[in-house]
Amino acid sequence: MQGAFQAAQAASGLFEESPLPIWIYDPRTLAFLAVNEAAVALYGYSREDFLAMTVGQLCLATDRAAHCAAVGRPPAPVERRETWRQVRKDGAVIYVEAARSTVMVGGKSACLVIASDISEGKRFELLYRSLLDAIPSSVLLLDEDLRVVSANRNFLTKSRQSAAQTTGKRLTEVFPEVIIAEMGLEGQVRNVFRNNQATQGQRLTYRTPGVPIRVYYYSLVPVSWGARVDHVLFLMDDVTEQMQMSEEIRQMERHLASVVESASDIVLSTDIKGNIFTWNKAAQKASGYSFEEVRGRPFFQYCGEAGVRKFFSRKSSLESSGMTEGNLKTKEGNHRSVSWVLSQMTNDAGQAVGFVIVGRDLTERRKLEMQIQESQKLASLGVMARGIAHEIRTPLTIASSAAQFLAEENLAPEFHRECAEKVYSGIRKASTIIENLLRFAHPTTNQNKTPVDLPHVVKGALSIVGNQARVQNIEVRTHLPAESCQILGVAGLLEQVFINLFLNAMNAMPNGGTLDVSAERHGGDLLVRVTDTGEGISPEDLDRIFDPFYTKALSGKGTGLGLSICHSIVVQHQGSISVESQSGKGSTFTVKLPPLSPAEKVKR
Amino acid sequence: MSLLNRVVLVVDDDPDICWALDHLLGGLGARCIRALDCQGALQAARLNRPALVLLDAKLPDMDGLVVARQIRCAAPGIPILMVSGYFYKDDPAIQAALEQGLICGFVEKPFSHTAIIAAMETALCPQKTGLTGFPRGTGPGIAERSPL
Repeated sequence: MQGAFQAAQAASGLFEESPLPIWIYDPRTLAFLAVNEAAVALYGYSREDFLAMTVGQLCLATDRAAHCAAVGRPPAPVERRETWRQVRKDGAVIYVEAARSTVMVGGKSACLVIASDISEGKRFELLYRSLLDAIPSSVLLLDEDLRVVSANRNFLTKSRQSAAQTTGKRLTEVFPEVIIAEMGLEGQVRNVFRNNQATQGQRLTYRTPGVPIRVYYYSLVPVSWGARVDHVLFLMDDVTEQMQMSEEIRQMERHLASVVESASDIVLSTDIKGNIFTWNKAAQKASGYSFEEVRGRPFFQYCGEAGVRKFFSRKSSLESSGMTEGNLKTKEGNHRSVSWVLSQMTNDAGQAVGFVIVGRDLTERRKLEMQIQESQKLASLGVMARGIAHEIRTPLTIASSAAQFLAEENLAPEFHRECAEKVYSGIRKASTIIENLLRFAHPTTNQNKTPVDLPHVVKGALSIVGNQARVQNIEVRTHLPAESCQILGVAGLLEQVFINLFLNAMNAMPNGGTLDVSAERHGGDLLVRVTDTGEGISPEDLDRIFDPFYTKALSGKGTGLGLSICHSIVVQHQGSISVESQSGKGSTFTVKLPPLSPAEKVKR
Repeated sequence: MSLLNRVVLVVDDDPDICWALDHLLGGLGARCIRALDCQGALQAARLNRPALVLLDAKLPDMDGLVVARQIRCAAPGIPILMVSGYFYKDDPAIQAALEQGLICGFVEKPFSHTAIIAAMETALCPQKTGLTGFPRGTGPGIAERSPL
């Protein structure tokens, strides 16, 4: 007995002095039978308080029913720790790990609880859980048996499973077996346990029944203590949206690429130095060079135009785009006439990173323009017909009359000689007029630019329209420089420009007037001014005067093409044409053309 | 009516045309006076009272048809024959001028001497066609149409 008492004394001492909170309760009434000092310290209730309470009162109200049911059952035969959430007297929630065992008190069985405050650790665990739940990835923690130790909220939502359906389950029960087998998931997890090395991201397509297909990137990360791997984290990122987005981007890229490829214009890009970076089908077709042949080569190897070179060289310029007409060298060694539009490509920071070059093959357009120019010439001839008729018929009349005198007999030798002379000179005059006309009407097949003396061209044009001026009682005054003023151009086309301008001026003076034609150097350019004393052009017509088919002339007198052709030809010569007019006083058309540069003079 | 000793005014800005007509008229015994422009023509018509005017359609200072109208005013009754390469015979402008009696005939350049002589004689002798004067819409018309 003494021994038993001493043992009881000792037990009581252990009970009282234990640093762990210990209490005994009646499993039937759940009333506290005894508590130690540590329990009093932990919970804040006095011993008296405890003895008046039941164990259920240490719980949160929400947990109470479940807790009471659990602690009402006898403890497991093998010691098992339980985690309880409890409330202190001051209201603070604490977590305790409790071990229950059965003891005999006063001949009755009672429950002894040894608790330990694990609130600190629990807080970390809770933090860990809420972190896991907060991250937008699916996370599974697997143990060595490939069972799920925990699954975060993201995984549960995505897989439409509850925690109970996953926790403690084997991987094969959580994922469709097909996927596990196909991906060799189990083997991979085991490898991570064995090698303690994380796997690289891999793609997994996973379809939960009733949910659209999702695409994941997953990796397996070992969770180890020292060299031993306790668990493996199975991290899955849902990349379905990103995949869709990148698919859309790829589609957009493919679309853009096909736009560029299908364009009938030449589209190419270069780096900042002008080396070719892309080259579309039209470029290939026009030049005969494949992309492989031109890749990385300087663009101006294929387009020797000064305008293009200039554009590349003024990188620092404020102008970010430019236009020029030039040539494209073909593989066969020919040149195609192309109009180039060059634009700078900039990155997001606004720095120039290269150039986009769009070229339009002008071969077809040139052909069409030539046809229009030809038909317009015929129209001009129609306008000039009366003047031409009058002018040619006059010398013919003289020749004809003189020939008729010659047919008479007994002519004085002096008159005979005079008649023969008149026949000859009359035919010569008529022939000169016809020659001028032929020169004008002859198709301009040679479109190659050569050095041309501008005043000479102006004089030639004047000689063709001179007849018309005479029949319209128009005085022609010229102020042309004596020295040669050369430009690079097509003489036939330039002559057409001036003939059109002269006829236009003369049209404005149906009752006669003065046509002033002057040429001069002004700044770096050559200017030709054509001034009439006609009716002038109204301001609203001035804006449209270079539009094709815009005419104020009576039907049959003009096609409305003359000035638009002048404009197109002058632009083709890198020049410009402008008009000033005063209603009732007359108009001045000014053609500005760049002179032949000294370099070009030397070259030719 | 013969052209003998008749005064004919030739209005043409081309001296060589005047030369040809001068010789042609001289050969017929007519006296030729020349005018190179409208002012000269009006003055000569008033002062010399020619029997006939040979008028070009285009003069440096004025259109031939305008000159014809002015000669009509300055010296009425003188027949005017238009000699020109500017118009053609069926030209609406010529037809209108003939109908108005502004001119009494039209000779296209280049002309045959026979045709122009015939036209001049017709112009001087309207009776031959059974007409007196040049009332509106009648006139001897174009040389080729009214041969002697």
